[in-house]
Amino acid sequence: MTPDDLPLPPEEADDALAAEYVLGVIDLAERAAVEARAKTDGVFAARIAAWEARLEGLNEGFAEVPAPDLLPRIEARIFGQAPRRRPLFGWLAGALAAAAVAMVAVAVLLPAPPAPIVATLGAQTDPLRFEARHDGANLIVTRVAGPPAPAGQVQELWIIAPDAAPVSLGLLAEAPLTVAYPDTPTGWTLAVSLEPEGGSPTGAPTGPVLAAGTITDL
Amino acid sequence: MDDPVAEMVVRVAAQDRAAFRDLYSATAPKLLGVTLRILGTRSEAEDALQEVFTRVWLRAGRFDPEKGRGMTWLIAIARNHAIDRLRSRPPAAAGDSGDEIDAVPDSSVSAEGRLIAMGEAGRMRDCFATLEPDRADAVRGAYLDGLSYVDLAARHAVPLNTMRTWLRRSLLKLRECLDQ
Repeated sequence: MTPDDLPLPPEEADDALAAEYVLGVIDLAERAAVEARAKTDGVFAARIAAWEARLEGLNEGFAEVPAPDLLPRIEARIFGQAPRRRPLFGWLAGALAAAAVAMVAVAVLLPAPPAPIVATLGAQTDPLRFEARHDGANLIVTRVAGPPAPAGQVQELWIIAPDAAPVSLGLLAEAPLTVAYPDTPTGWTLAVSLEPEGGSPTGAPTGPVLAAGTITDL
Repeated sequence: MDDPVAEMVVRVAAQDRAAFRDLYSATAPKLLGVTLRILGTRSEAEDALQEVFTRVWLRAGRFDPEKGRGMTWLIAIARNHAIDRLRSRPPAAAGDSGDEIDAVPDSSVSAEGRLIAMGEAGRMRDCFATLEPDRADAVRGAYLDGLSYVDLAARHAVPLNTMRTWLRRSLLKLRECLDQ
């Protein structure tokens, strides 16, 4: 038995785990567990931050790469502005310029800008993710990655006010789920749970939470 | 505060969109360097970069300039997202390096060459020198290339648990040296 085989004392094991997380060597499930713990355990979160600072010298090893201008797409995601459109059939637009009726038709054909995103549900670690947007009157929740619930089960959306019990907002299908909310409920949590067909029989989540996120005021 | 990136992040936390654009111009090349190095393909790296900046906007309020440098915070977000993507890949694709990998600078230089190319701060270099060379390489490979324990064990031809024990001991030794 070499000294390497001796188990680490608990505090050292915690610090080693924080280091392994920062280094990125552990698998997805362990990463998710570390992130969940860091949210509630301040000491542990500080260990992670300390390792990030300790190893920052290694960042010199990342070369800069010329980056394309992805800002329009990023801003469209965050602020709900449509990306700059390509000129719509220049020749056609010219021909139509004289006809007011036709102009209206073109305007109608332009896609409406998406509402700004207010929450992402599902950690980066989760292959299943949802996005919540708020268009000024409605909360619109869409599955953006991952599969729907298996046959016989459904994905149910919940909203949770601070220190309150979850309230069901409805079942998520392929189409976005739209719920009237005049104001963005900032600071509230959205969560998706797996429930039997028809939704939770008890009015409270009964199945595992598949994804969750906090609504951020933009 | 002699940290222009941190100043920009603080302004972004106050919902300053102009600062967000400035931050993108100033840091996108470095952060794309991070996602490209870890993910290997340009298209996925650019996709990841969009997500990284979305998170930067959403999380800027949590950045504390008293506790760390702006660029360190940004790179942590970029690395975490890239590594999550890497670990989420189906097992078949995880070790698949034949799939249109785009050229990324500095991946297989000698250990010493890497140190110089990386321009590591003096203390960092000295502390890495206290580790056995293959263990120092494992730490760097994990940090820069996103290698997992599974990858490292295969690369160094040791059992997974041995690799984990090695690396944990190396990290704690590194901590001891860096914290002096």
